[in-house]
Amino acid sequence: MNRPARSLTAAAFILLALVLGAACSPSPTEPLTLRYGLTLAPTGIDPHLNASSELGIPLSSVYDTLVFLDPATGEFVPGLAERWEISPDGRTYTFHLREDVVFHDGTPFNAEAVRANFEYTLDPENHSQKAASMLGPFESVEIVDESTVALHLSEPFAPLLDSLSQVYLGMASPSALEQWGPADYQFHQVGTGPFRFVEYIPNDHLTLARNPDYAWGPSIYLASTASIERIVFTFYEAEPTRALALQGGEVDVVGEVPPRDAARLAESGGFALTPVAIPGQPLQYFFNTRRPPTDDLPTRQALLLAVDRESIVRTIFGDYSPVAQGLLSAVTPGFSPDVSFPSFDPEAARDLLVQSGWADADGDGVLSRDGQPLTIALVAPNWGSNPDVAQLLQAAWEQLGAEVTLQVAAGFGPLKEIQASGAYNAIGLNFFGTDPDLLRGFYASDGLYNWSGIADARIDDLLRQASQLPLDPEGRRERHRQVAELVRDQALVLPLRDYVDLVVSSNRVQGLRFSALGWFPHLIDLRLEP
Amino acid sequence: MVSTSDRPAPRALAALGGRLATAALTAWAAVTITFFALRLGTGDPTASLLAQGLATPAQAEALRHELGLDRPLLEQYFTFLSGLVRGDLGLSLYTGRPVLRIIAEQAPSTAELAGLGLVVAVGLGLLLGIVAAWFEGRALGRAAAGLAGLATALPVAFTGILGLLLLVGLPGSVASPVWAPIRRLALPGLVLGYASSGAIARVVQAGLSESLLRPYILAARARGVRPRARILWHALRPALPPAVSLGALEAAYLFGGTVVTETVFSRPGLGRLLVGAILQGDFPIAQGLVVLAAIVYTASHFAADALAMTIDPRLRGQI
Repeated sequence: MNRPARSLTAAAFILLALVLGAACSPSPTEPLTLRYGLTLAPTGIDPHLNASSELGIPLSSVYDTLVFLDPATGEFVPGLAERWEISPDGRTYTFHLREDVVFHDGTPFNAEAVRANFEYTLDPENHSQKAASMLGPFESVEIVDESTVALHLSEPFAPLLDSLSQVYLGMASPSALEQWGPADYQFHQVGTGPFRFVEYIPNDHLTLARNPDYAWGPSIYLASTASIERIVFTFYEAEPTRALALQGGEVDVVGEVPPRDAARLAESGGFALTPVAIPGQPLQYFFNTRRPPTDDLPTRQALLLAVDRESIVRTIFGDYSPVAQGLLSAVTPGFSPDVSFPSFDPEAARDLLVQSGWADADGDGVLSRDGQPLTIALVAPNWGSNPDVAQLLQAAWEQLGAEVTLQVAAGFGPLKEIQASGAYNAIGLNFFGTDPDLLRGFYASDGLYNWSGIADARIDDLLRQASQLPLDPEGRRERHRQVAELVRDQALVLPLRDYVDLVVSSNRVQGLRFSALGWFPHLIDLRLEP
Repeated sequence: MVSTSDRPAPRALAALGGRLATAALTAWAAVTITFFALRLGTGDPTASLLAQGLATPAQAEALRHELGLDRPLLEQYFTFLSGLVRGDLGLSLYTGRPVLRIIAEQAPSTAELAGLGLVVAVGLGLLLGIVAAWFEGRALGRAAAGLAGLATALPVAFTGILGLLLLVGLPGSVASPVWAPIRRLALPGLVLGYASSGAIARVVQAGLSESLLRPYILAARARGVRPRARILWHALRPALPPAVSLGALEAAYLFGGTVVTETVFSRPGLGRLLVGAILQGDFPIAQGLVVLAAIVYTASHFAADALAMTIDPRLRGQI
């Protein structure tokens, strides 16, 4: 045999060997296993230190929290804390802990464990990306006795219970935190939840196994222990592969399925589609009040009126997404249904511009005023269909007589960079969360994401007051309503689409329900038909 | 490396030594450019780190300080370089884990995929190239040339999804025991390798078509060398060195170019690590991967030179 033929044969043999070798791996009888498709492979999955929403899908069932937020009522219900009191000045929260709770590694849950968790999260050397900031004006944690713990704040902080209900402040075994340290704990997580953490191979899979001893679940869980023995999570970052993974039988559930695929699968009969509304902010664009021409109120109002939000949402997101109606998506506690944003009215938009001095003096189709053309620098993030949405915004504003430059930022870093330069008139950004206090980050003059550049003393006061009324939900609601009105009247933001996560599951999966935050399934309640 | 029987001149070794110095310089340049491009082009990493939380500006500043990002950029650069010399690629911003360890965890998966991809690329490239040249002008030859052309034209994202679609569409395929390994490795390797096979096929075809017309082939025929195999080898041998060089280029490309393949097939690996690191602003990981890419690239060129010299002794004096 001559040489090239020989090497070809060799190549063929190697290929065959690889295929067969992998095929012959042993397959013992599998326990009842659910396969769950995730859509992002986060860098770092320790919820106390990392911030990804995706990590909460598995991990909110590994951890219990002191309290839980009931998605049905919007009320906080007991979790690891049986009950709690808030001091009249709103600065001390006393939690009475359950005494029958044991971590997956056998460590008992108690006041000392709570303190260890806060210390781990707040240690500046651990670089917490989200959880630390969720504790707000946290001052200290006091161990009152073995099963009572008091959190002291330097000022009242109404979102605290909401923070404590999230996986990011889930209770981890102090011995595991101590043993592994911040760099490696993510691979050895130990909580008290209905599932225990088995292994995590980055970019490949994450495995949970049921915790048979679980007997302290909150009232929001229907089941008392999980019926599914193992859950294997794998990652599907490329959108078109999610439907394929379902059809190929690789996964039983996957989220963030593109609308067309979701509709097709649901119609095919073998799958169920669950659209999950995500609380927080809608997909939205902020108008920069510090740069012409959006420093001018009538111009901003005209830009708002010129956008057919309904048609943009239908075009890009199909029938599953509600058109956004405010600063918060409709399912968010604190959403103000009676503060409605103006609907599409291109003539009114044009009239507003004409009244405020814009005219097409040279007949080139672009309006100008005082020799300055109506130029809008539009900046879109590269995620969440923003580039598509921005193209339609561009078209709408060009129709109005503006010249629109569209820039798509390649990730959050570049987006922030453009924002910091100030070279934008409209910029997209949104945030998920269950407490309306998130508005402070976006509309308070010192907010980290005050990208409309607003500095309004009334808004600042209202937001600060609302954040300090832990015992007065109605007072908070009223203040957030007033903020919504002020923001709308000043045309600071263009809300477009309430975020909906399209989750598709095979018909074998029953009991798919989601936490108040939207993204996180109650894995304990899932059942898998044979 | 170099076949000893032919006594390569020490000159060749000296030349290789010179190449090593060039390679080190290239690697340094790549690292430096990446460092500044990543740091100046992607903005403040703390912004990305805190993007999903509502930190106060004071908390953001504290994190910047804690990560050493408030130091002058040039100082950070020299800190990184001095670490690099000691084999320390730094820590991930997101997890605080050593970058070298993170890369080491993901590398085997990419090596496996790129290795199979290379076997497929070379095998398929040779096959398509030979068939296209041998049957030039006939249907079979045209088909081979067409397949090679498509290989370079079709993006991996397309062939990958197409492959997955076909695999899912095969009745009973999911239940079959060979499905998982095909899904995990064979199909990704085939898709990746096919994409790189086109260029190799063209070079082989061009070389072969040319040498088949050479007088020595005619002489060989006149001597009564049996056609096909022998003639093929006679004609193929001078056509191979360019194909080998190209193969080495493709090997380096494969190693870095697994990005799309890994994403489409949801495989772990360096490509996905790189994309994630860049999108999330975890620049120490991205930098580490560039260092690795520089090493792989240089190494595969060495290998190609050595291999080319083995196949074609005339090249030995020239390198």
